[in-house]
Amino acid sequence: MSSTPAGAPSSEASSTPRRSFSSLRGFRWRIHLGVLPTSPTASIDDLRRVTADTRRRYATLRRRLLLDHHPPKEGDASRDLTIDNPLSQNPGMHELLAPLLYVLHVDINCLFQLQKLHKDCLNEEFDRISFSKNDLFDFGARNVRNWESGIEATNGLDGMSNDHFTNELDPETRDVLLLCDPYGAEGELGVIVSKCFMEHDAYCMFENLMDGALGVVGLASFYSPVIGSSKNMPPVVEASSALYHLLSIVDSSLHSHLVELGVEPQYFALRWLRVLFGREFCLDDLLIIWDEVFSFSNSRFIGDDAEYNFKVLCSPRGALITALAVSMLLYLRSSLLATETATTCLQRLLCFPQNPDMRKLIEKAKSLLALALESNIFSSLSERNLKKNKLAVRRFSLPSGSALPMTLPNVVPDSYWEKKWLVLHKDEEPKMQNFDSSSSVMTKILTEKLSLSRTKSEPLEPEIDRAQSPVSRLIFNETSAGIETVQDSYQVDESPTILNVNATNDSPVELEDESTYNCSADENILSDDDTSVLPISTYPLDHENELEKSNSTTSLLIDGDNEDTINLEEHSGQNIKSQFTQKAETTSAVDGSTEEKSLAAPNAWRPLAGKLQWLWTFSRVSDKENQGSHPPCTMGDVKKNNLDNEITDETDYFGINKRIERDTKVMDALKNLGQSMLDNIQVIESVFQQEKVKFDTFENLSSNILGSKGQTTAVSALKELRKISNLLQEM
Amino acid sequence: MAHRVDHEYDYLFKIVLIGDSGVGKSNILSRFTRNEFSLDSKSTIGVEFATKTLQIEAKTVKAQIWDTAGQERYRAITSAYYRGAVGALLVYDITKKQTFDNVQRWLRELRDHADSNIVIMMAGNKSDLTHLRAVSENDGQEFAEKEGLSFLETSALESHNVEKAFQTVLTEIYHIINKKALAAQEAARNSGPPGQGTTIHVVDSSDAGSSKSSCCSS
Repeated sequence: MSSTPAGAPSSEASSTPRRSFSSLRGFRWRIHLGVLPTSPTASIDDLRRVTADTRRRYATLRRRLLLDHHPPKEGDASRDLTIDNPLSQNPGMHELLAPLLYVLHVDINCLFQLQKLHKDCLNEEFDRISFSKNDLFDFGARNVRNWESGIEATNGLDGMSNDHFTNELDPETRDVLLLCDPYGAEGELGVIVSKCFMEHDAYCMFENLMDGALGVVGLASFYSPVIGSSKNMPPVVEASSALYHLLSIVDSSLHSHLVELGVEPQYFALRWLRVLFGREFCLDDLLIIWDEVFSFSNSRFIGDDAEYNFKVLCSPRGALITALAVSMLLYLRSSLLATETATTCLQRLLCFPQNPDMRKLIEKAKSLLALALESNIFSSLSERNLKKNKLAVRRFSLPSGSALPMTLPNVVPDSYWEKKWLVLHKDEEPKMQNFDSSSSVMTKILTEKLSLSRTKSEPLEPEIDRAQSPVSRLIFNETSAGIETVQDSYQVDESPTILNVNATNDSPVELEDESTYNCSADENILSDDDTSVLPISTYPLDHENELEKSNSTTSLLIDGDNEDTINLEEHSGQNIKSQFTQKAETTSAVDGSTEEKSLAAPNAWRPLAGKLQWLWTFSRVSDKENQGSHPPCTMGDVKKNNLDNEITDETDYFGINKRIERDTKVMDALKNLGQSMLDNIQVIESVFQQEKVKFDTFENLSSNILGSKGQTTAVSALKELRKISNLLQEM
Repeated sequence: MAHRVDHEYDYLFKIVLIGDSGVGKSNILSRFTRNEFSLDSKSTIGVEFATKTLQIEAKTVKAQIWDTAGQERYRAITSAYYRGAVGALLVYDITKKQTFDNVQRWLRELRDHADSNIVIMMAGNKSDLTHLRAVSENDGQEFAEKEGLSFLETSALESHNVEKAFQTVLTEIYHIINKKALAAQEAARNSGPPGQGTTIHVVDSSDAGSSKSSCCSS
């Protein structure tokens, strides 16, 4: 092509990135799946040649398998087509193939429309050029020459219309037409979107999807029961565990609920993964999901020798698949928390609501992506790092984990936490250079490899309108990548000075604030090197307070609570909202309203909020065990209960921040707390007692979901709880 | 999005549906739980789940049914599914001899992974396809007697014996549980009061009752 008069403009056009091709989804997928070259410098001719080659390869394969049929050679396991034949009844595989065929078919229709449009245009041009030049003979001669060699014909056409015609077409359309010109490189076989070769193209995409095209995630591995990865787990089971791993980080309460019910991840993830969510969404939604999944690279994200926990999390694509699954779980969060048996829970999991909010689902998944990748790498570092990072990760992710499910119109939580971290980020920015931490390296890699930029997500928009303070306006105008947010979370841990910075920058009054003061002091006592006091001091505070009040065994509801809180807060007016958003500035902003409310509210709980800060840390430690002991049946009631409590007590929470309470009251409250814990423990114990009897009685012939193992952990958790309550009562 | 917590049952039994691929397990399930039948239903990937509440001797029994994929290659993953199952419906296709021959292997699988007291009903499905019959009812009956299984021929398409098959399994389980509960009560009476001073009403709260107990009354 470059050897022709039209060479210059056309090669220029083809060397520019033209990977968007918004109208040709199948074409895009072929590039993303690695069927066609991904390099942006690949010329139109390159693309056509590769296309032709893949088709030849498929034709050969097909001939070999169908016509000269003989058993596959040994050692060719990854392409064992007699077993993994898409045409077989093997459930799933043909369901992966069908959407691929579908998009190719749509592409062909698109192209047809485009060509039709173009044809009119071309004819017009043709007429105009030939007649205006009044040189029919000349043109005719050129045309004849062109017909003699296919390739030149195109170029001749190109050259002819260069001045008038090509410039009127946008480069993308022009490229598409060149890519689909039967007279280009390789002739018909090189036509990128071709009805004749749909079968070939579909197969090539399918093949790459199944074997991963030298990348990390090949869906075929999800069908194999034996080809184990690290721990000899079948890949699909391993990928399912990765899903729970990520869930446990972003929403430990939901995670524990599922674990407690005995819902093993592969029970539902097997289907989700094998057909890549094909059974969970209608076709249109599925295509959107696959758009996202394929657009992420499947190549190995970490070094070959690096240790990792889950293979599926080693490539951005695998991580996105995992994150999507977690996003789906979060989408169903409240529904799942309300279930009390594994069966009903699984029923809901395998009956994903129709017409879900796709944008939300995908955004959430993307926001978890960096975390998913990092959690896989960092957890293979030293124990100390692991611990630190986990703390940071939790702080970052808990709130966003809670943001998704319950509030459709209300997006405050997301933006709230984003803001929070942005504030922190701003404070931290000058210091950042000082830390050559692994997380910043990670961020760099992430940014480069993923070009992961959340920028200003849509849900933020209404926030901007409503945000009153100039500070928040400023924050919102600053667009920041999701990764940065993660990095911030690490920054918190890395920097021992963060608390001071935070406090000083925000408001001097805050230093007087008992709750903040307490929490910082106590945190320091509890963990010498950890100053993760963080921006969310109000969050655990609130949640602990509530937890106590709800007077039931509910740390399961942490996230939900948080979200409810935020919702309520939203309703309770601008002032409170801004207080919550920028806790440091509460004093000035909310003074009036909180004063008023605190007068109206009972005092009893106030001291708890401050004092409980350290308890929160404590309870976190035994969090898991605690949750193991929750009787499954409380969820619904507790939820409601909690909500009620919130409605009545919310206001008094806001008064807490600034209160300095005397010790006696505090002690009383702590004793109350201890007593109520004891009550709860007894309730749980009595339940277990019953269970135990049943176990003995029916010799395990029962539908009891608590295995004996679960029971032991639960019992030990109870013991822990008892210790805490004793401790509290003695105080 | 709040969901009502469902307490309206006395017993909760987990039943697994097993058998070769294509014998009609999923259609038996959909016939039983939703009274639906689909000629071109998709094959099951992994497991599917359904529940149905029914009355057995004046007690409300909630059956949780786990419908496992019949593919050989899935077994590595499905073995965990048997955990906690108190009943099994082992299905074969009367028009496919092979599926009947494989019943033996499914029984072995049950013995390896499921509770030894599991109640098993063997169902020869597709009894409507009489002209294609490859396994006689008599063969099925004999085999069932030899193995100590209950047996019925069913047709999910014609809705024949489907309800009865489940009803039979669930009733049998109910009887076993009941008998054991009584025995346990007897034993408890003889062995003195349990610790912690908590009164335990075994009969009322047996099995499913566990989730009905007082833990939410705070």
